[in-house]
Amino acid sequence: MDTHTRLDVLVIGGGVVGCAILRELTRYRASVALIERNPDICEGTSKSNSAIVHTGFDAPPGTLEARLLADARDLWPSVIADLHIPYLQTGALMLALTPEDLRTIEREIIPKAERNGVTLQPLTREEIVEHAPYVNPEVLGGVLIEGEGVIDPFWTTRAYCESAVLNGATVFTGEGVTELQIGEEGVVVRTSGGRELTAALVINAAGLWSDEIARLAGDDSFTIRPRKGQFVVVEEDHGVAQIILPVPNKVSKGILVTPIVFGGVMLGPTAEEVEEKTDLATTVEGLRAIREGVRRYVPDIAEAESVRQFAGLRAVGSESDYIIRASTAGPRLLHVAGIRSTGLSASPAIGRYVGELVRRELELVERADFQAELPEYLAETHPDEGDVVCLCRSITRGELLAALRSPLPPGSLDGLKRRTGAMLGDCQGNLCLPRILDLFQQQLGRDPLTLPKHQARSCPVAVRLAHTAGQEG
Amino acid sequence: MSTIDFSHVYRLAIVGAGLSALSALQAGLAGEDTLLLDYQDGPGGFLRHALTAPGLEDLAAFVRAAALPDRLTTCFRSTAVGLLPAFVEGEPHTLMVRQSSGTVEVRATQVLLACGGLELTRESAQIPGPRPAGVITPVFAHQLLNRGYAPGRRIVVYGQARYVQATAYRLAQAGLSVTLVSPPGEPVLALPAALSSALTILPPARLVALAGFPRLEEVSFERAGERVTLAADTLVYAAGLRANTHWLKGSGLALSAQGALEVNARYQTSVHGIYAIGTAVAPSLDHEQSLTMGKEVALLLSGGAL
Repeated sequence: MDTHTRLDVLVIGGGVVGCAILRELTRYRASVALIERNPDICEGTSKSNSAIVHTGFDAPPGTLEARLLADARDLWPSVIADLHIPYLQTGALMLALTPEDLRTIEREIIPKAERNGVTLQPLTREEIVEHAPYVNPEVLGGVLIEGEGVIDPFWTTRAYCESAVLNGATVFTGEGVTELQIGEEGVVVRTSGGRELTAALVINAAGLWSDEIARLAGDDSFTIRPRKGQFVVVEEDHGVAQIILPVPNKVSKGILVTPIVFGGVMLGPTAEEVEEKTDLATTVEGLRAIREGVRRYVPDIAEAESVRQFAGLRAVGSESDYIIRASTAGPRLLHVAGIRSTGLSASPAIGRYVGELVRRELELVERADFQAELPEYLAETHPDEGDVVCLCRSITRGELLAALRSPLPPGSLDGLKRRTGAMLGDCQGNLCLPRILDLFQQQLGRDPLTLPKHQARSCPVAVRLAHTAGQEG
Repeated sequence: MSTIDFSHVYRLAIVGAGLSALSALQAGLAGEDTLLLDYQDGPGGFLRHALTAPGLEDLAAFVRAAALPDRLTTCFRSTAVGLLPAFVEGEPHTLMVRQSSGTVEVRATQVLLACGGLELTRESAQIPGPRPAGVITPVFAHQLLNRGYAPGRRIVVYGQARYVQATAYRLAQAGLSVTLVSPPGEPVLALPAALSSALTILPPARLVALAGFPRLEEVSFERAGERVTLAADTLVYAAGLRANTHWLKGSGLALSAQGALEVNARYQTSVHGIYAIGTAVAPSLDHEQSLTMGKEVALLLSGGAL
């Protein structure tokens, strides 16, 4: 392995924020790379969230977060078009069930949205029932936030990163940062893979772990706390066509009912302060709270069968706004941290904003040959690959091989799942996983014994038996 | 393996070559002009992967002996992904079928849906906990064993059926440590003597939680209000089946809330000329029921309906 590489910019963290920044940086004449410690990108907060492209109508006015959410509203249409991201502008309905809810909407929600540049449309009970016949008929009124929509968060993250790779960026996966020294020449980063990278500038987009990256440089100016959100996925949409929002309280926006861009509905999230940054467990109490929360708004869906439940962790920073600034240890380390729950929504603007900071700092020059549009690799299948592998979702061998042949092939089974939708159906991959292991071996030469499900040391194939125990019937 | 004649209207198209379809064929269902389609590489349904498991010898023998009639057009690795019933009674129905060459349309006057089931997962029962590697269902375990691999070393199998016992036994025979726990409230199956010595069998208990990440570490059960936690790197969740009917949503065929195909006493679905048998109608791990339905539908359809 070439153990020493010199770079202009190194991005730490392959979540939606790191990948959006990486893509922006490839607009300039610069050598840029991203490092992600998991076997594939999009393995943290970016994969487990409500997948909403949020207008920022309720962001604290005057914050950087509110400003970037507002900027993102203008940037999304071209990002969605260039990267071919599955997106639905569903709109969101905030429903009032009590006279107090109505007062909160009128006195707090609408004025705050105005300050954020978002106009909300008040609706009567009758208008809501006509718009959304699936909601609790006892609703008293509410508002429509027309600009809210739902997106494929995996696609978004992967497409940012893939576009960056096609524009010349390098991506290291399965390697974490173990040392970080800020020197005269730049920042020297050592990795768990034995690599030494020297970058003129390092961007810390390590999400939940960004405070620990800062610590490596001797910077303890902020901390990140995990806030858990549990979700319940329902395959039947029960007619739900808008995002349904309760009137929020101080801690969270409450339990939402959110259409999923590729079908079905997501219920959640909870908002629980937890101790561990690895606590991704769903709980009896959490799942019950979700069902009870949605029962008041969309009664029919409260009892619906669920195909999957999961938990994600928001990265909550110790400062009241996004932490986008130079490290206290030196200007060559730039933090992009504390993004909490708006990283996906603000990602185009965070990328643009950070890209601009870096351009000025390093006096970068724009390239003439930046390709904004991503070729549609996932649609490119070869003849004789049309047979179905994932039975539940009717995903073909060709679709899986196209993902394995792409410029940024998946480094884990979940990575392939996120690129294709295979293994997301009723059997959760149990039927087709062996065939998928075969495809990884055939296309990428991956040994099943070393192929992880998600993180390191998560291989579904644990043991090679001394002799074959049996043959196919 | 034969090829589909797209210009032709088949008299009967059978979707699925599992036990119920094989039973129907053996009972004389296949007339001329019949097409058999299946997702897999050969007959036997998902049980196909488990045929070498100890305790399923009779079913294995049945599948091996079920010679497919020569006059039958048989297409494996051919998956029905959609069904458009005829608008007018007597007109042919259309199946959308994916094969290696692409998506094709198959037309048939009558359709027999024997498309089986999918194994229920831990997620379908909303067992709380993280989502580590090592939480699987039997069909994955059997396919790994067939390839010369095992899913883990310390395995808990949770379920209660002959197929579940056979899965546990086969894993134990591969040299792995296996504990079998059945859910409470179900009739306890007699255990073959050889089985009870090869693995650890615990009294019935309800699975309540998982722990460990990125790999499974513990499985917790509740029995009479008491919690029992077992160390395990693998959980084979084998609590049952659901009908494999996701592909029929939008077809207009009546499905139960759980997705099972609704049929009358003559195995006819809500659409004239479309019949259904087996796990797709009655999702359970009981193979006898599939065999019986196959025989009955063969008699009904051969006795005049066809």
